[in-house]
Amino acid sequence: MTRKIVVIILAIIFMIPVYWTVISSFKTLGEIYQYPPTIFPKHFSLEGYNSIFKNMDFIRYLGNTLFVAIVSTIFTVFLCLTVGYSLAKGTFRGKNFLSSLIMITLFITAEITMVPLFIIIRKLGLMNSLWGLIIPAVFTPTGTFTAVQYMKDIPDELLESAKIDGATEIQIFNRIIVPLSKPLIAALSIFSFTWRWNDFILPLIVINESKLYTIQLALSSLQGQYGVAWNEVLALTVLSIVPTLIIFLLFQNLFMKGLMAGGLKY
Amino acid sequence: MRKWVRNRFVFSIPSLILFLLFTFVPVVITIYFSFYSWDLLHPMKFIGFKNFKDLLSDNWFWNSIFVSFKYTFLSVPLIFILSLILGIFLQEEDRFSKTFRAFFYWPYMVPLVAAGTMWKWLLSTDTGMINAILSKLGFSNISWLENPHLALLSTVLVQVWVLTGFMMMLFITGLQNIPQELHEAAIVDGANKFQLFWKITFPLLKNTSVLVIILSIAYCFRNFTIVYILTTGGPGYATTVTPLYIYQQAFSSYRIGYASAMSLVFLIIIFFVSFFAFRVQEKESGEI
Repeated sequence: MTRKIVVIILAIIFMIPVYWTVISSFKTLGEIYQYPPTIFPKHFSLEGYNSIFKNMDFIRYLGNTLFVAIVSTIFTVFLCLTVGYSLAKGTFRGKNFLSSLIMITLFITAEITMVPLFIIIRKLGLMNSLWGLIIPAVFTPTGTFTAVQYMKDIPDELLESAKIDGATEIQIFNRIIVPLSKPLIAALSIFSFTWRWNDFILPLIVINESKLYTIQLALSSLQGQYGVAWNEVLALTVLSIVPTLIIFLLFQNLFMKGLMAGGLKY
Repeated sequence: MRKWVRNRFVFSIPSLILFLLFTFVPVVITIYFSFYSWDLLHPMKFIGFKNFKDLLSDNWFWNSIFVSFKYTFLSVPLIFILSLILGIFLQEEDRFSKTFRAFFYWPYMVPLVAAGTMWKWLLSTDTGMINAILSKLGFSNISWLENPHLALLSTVLVQVWVLTGFMMMLFITGLQNIPQELHEAAIVDGANKFQLFWKITFPLLKNTSVLVIILSIAYCFRNFTIVYILTTGGPGYATTVTPLYIYQQAFSSYRIGYASAMSLVFLIIIFFVSFFAFRVQEKESGEI
């Protein structure tokens, strides 16, 4: 019983920031700045949401974000499947060295290498381009290791017998590996989409033009202005977390178990 | 080439190219650029070790390293204790546990910019809910984000909010892997709940605990977004963690070479911290 009470109290505490943001986003501008603030809104209002669509290019930001997230996801799935197959079933020398090399990427993230990353992206001519948010981010160590773990469980006999039947490596990959990896592909897609949707560092250093903003970048720059319009900030915050909430609720089991060893079964 | 197809190396090539280009090369050119002075406009100038000399006397840089360490060592114990308690309380596969796990895990999926914004609004001095409740109870307002002593603690709270659920899931996996017979045997021997936890459960969770600590340290050390949104490093430099200081030097002051030198020092620190963590993990897991 104490267990349940403690858990419920903690859950309420964890949900307070979300409650306060959502509730405030439906207040009128006057009520938002009222002192002391009202814990429940007196009037239900869509002011903040309306002004996002009126004053901001919200639909464009949404389009940019969706483009980046979807295109990245396609690349990421392709990369994870190929490198996963190579590292799980490959017979080349230096395979283990390559695996541990890729492991380094877990620690050397964009937060730490943003300066050289910026220089490279500039050299490649990807500044102020949505491709500058895609190409540097599509290779993911987490996704790679998930794919390797998953493909190690695919029986070698299947590949051997296909080889005896005269199948080429490309055919084996297309006709055996890919069809057997459907749960993996689903998991990678959902994770990759969420990562790209949430991304902030790359947009911050790559994008200057406001017509190329992603939602996260728009949300951040809205707060950088002098005299922050909190009704818009709050409404945009709510809109930016809704997709992640929907994805999370739909695929809860995958998120909670998925990327932990043994969670995926083909 | 044919050999590379046969041994399946060829399937690694696309990922390998991107890995080299966006993880390996950045580290190499960080070293290169740290010997140059460059403001993006004028041609680069080789200046030898001057960036490193400047860095040694740059108090704000060393302050940012200190802030990063403080941030990490405040966050990690809180995350550890909270996620362990939640892991223990929610380890069963019953309906209650499954429902409530979601409340703690979901914050991990929330974009960091949105998470920072929500907390900024919650902790705001005049319009935040925390101060509204405090004033209802007769206390005076607290400047959560403007007070230099409280600001770092506020950013730590956000980090705890974001990471606890993910670490909780690691503990739940670890707890579910402990053989049930061990518990039953201990109960037959008359062990109470606390003895059961300290003598049996906790020692068997050693590997999970080490993993949780390593991952938490890695996450907290590279934190940039939470601080950027919540306080932009302020008040003064009270919450300026190293990645934020590097960002400001590179993209506000346009000191690319100097920022590279700082990145290099920070990379070396990160390398030692993670190397140390890996060694501890190897030692620990060797014992079981």
